[in-house]
Amino acid sequence: MTGAGATAGRNLPGRTGARRRTARWIELACCGAAGLALLVLVLLIGAVLWKGAGAVRPAFLWQPSTDAGVGGGVRYQLVGTVWMTACAAALVVPLALAVALVATQFAGQRLASLARSGLQLLNAVPSILFGLFGFVVFVHGLGWGKSWLTGSVLLAWMILPTVSVTLSEAMEAVPREVTDAARALGLSRGRCAWQVVVPHSLHGLWRGLLLGVARAAGETAPLLFTAVVFSGATVPNGIRNEPVLALPYHVFVLSQDSYDPAAETAAWGAALALLGVVLLMLTLALPLRRRAFEEARG
Amino acid sequence: MSVARPVLEVDDLDVQMGGRTVLRGVRLDVPERGVTAIVGPSGAGKSTLLRALNRLLDLEPAAAVRGRVAFRGEDIYANGVDPDRLRERIGMVFQRPVTFPTTVRRNVLFGWRGDGTADEVLERALESAALLDEVHDRLDEPARNLSVGQQQRLSLARALAVEPEVLLLDEPTSALDSASENAVEAALSRLANERALILVTHSHSQVERLGARALRLVDGQLVDEGPTAGS
Repeated sequence: MTGAGATAGRNLPGRTGARRRTARWIELACCGAAGLALLVLVLLIGAVLWKGAGAVRPAFLWQPSTDAGVGGGVRYQLVGTVWMTACAAALVVPLALAVALVATQFAGQRLASLARSGLQLLNAVPSILFGLFGFVVFVHGLGWGKSWLTGSVLLAWMILPTVSVTLSEAMEAVPREVTDAARALGLSRGRCAWQVVVPHSLHGLWRGLLLGVARAAGETAPLLFTAVVFSGATVPNGIRNEPVLALPYHVFVLSQDSYDPAAETAAWGAALALLGVVLLMLTLALPLRRRAFEEARG
Repeated sequence: MSVARPVLEVDDLDVQMGGRTVLRGVRLDVPERGVTAIVGPSGAGKSTLLRALNRLLDLEPAAAVRGRVAFRGEDIYANGVDPDRLRERIGMVFQRPVTFPTTVRRNVLFGWRGDGTADEVLERALESAALLDEVHDRLDEPARNLSVGQQQRLSLARALAVEPEVLLLDEPTSALDSASENAVEAALSRLANERALILVTHSHSQVERLGARALRLVDGQLVDEGPTAGS
């Protein structure tokens, strides 16, 4: 046998071997990169656990801080962080739903592409700029003063790209046959979006919220001059001029006093509490996301 | 003796998908009752033809439709026709069963907005789809718990709950085992006595079992093969 077919046949085993070796190297490189990322996570959690464990006593979580944050616990810092994060999550859900529905169900290609680009730009804005914007618009412009509401609005705005992009991806992944079946029953585009696409994509909303809330809980820069103080605040009792304490800001201020061993220990303790809040939120939300995913699969 | 007007009249229907001609000069009259079967090789445009008959092709940005499709004498592509209302009157069941992530009951009533009480509609639709006996005590279970054959009959019941005058069936038994296929065919035989069914299928034996009038789609054109032995 002669010709190209014979040549290709003769070369096939060698080429297959080279491809297998290349694939193996790529596989190893991917595993190495993933392992490195996990290692960083494990080291980070390990360091926070190791250094923070010394500060955490049973009463640490429910005692107010004393002695300029060095003594007592982180009761009101926890309250402020959980309150602002929860409010940000509540604010971002309708916004993200609206953005994702417009981008995937109602807008033409051009507007959808514009919406995606806008979200990417919003995601790239440095967090301190959100703080400056909030300071000018909400604190002064609208006269809210330093307030948990300003902080929640800014955090919601910051996590909007994460939540709406993951939700949009879930909406785009709804099988065409499902939406066709709904439209074939006479459902309008709006009814189909609300009754079929949204329930099928709720797992994407949960996934986006998990990522977004984890980020929001740890943000400091946008809250510095818009929502938080280091001491003197307790439980919010109104909307205007109602700043709160927050764990990330507490860690930030105490870390600046790191020449004082007691302050450093308190900072690590607050960091451990912050990590615990984030992990608790993830643990509570993961089963909801899994359930929504199972239901969407039908 | 007066001859009943066809419920659907298709005249010189052309469909292009992204510039490629899929259907050319299709002519078809569908009687008020009975099964009209469309057979032909894969990719011949059978599903496209069905989707042109209830304007589901409107959802394909690349589709261009020319010609006339009249439902009870009125052009469905004329200005002012609401495609959503049209699809309530010309229902469709697809090749693979689709269940929405909710209960059996809510699945059946998903598109229903008409007269009567929900329980009556539910019972009638499930009965017509030959499913009532199997699910009467499972109405509040998730629909995904049903077998594939039951899910396909659930899709049929959901389409019937809207009370369509014409039912389009796109290879509704191709994903089913023989027992489920028999159950669906029995339901279709009964439904054919009260409304028009347009069935896309690869199975000649199914066409014969249903006593359908067969039309072959070849190169985008329909050829009438006439009634089968069973009719």
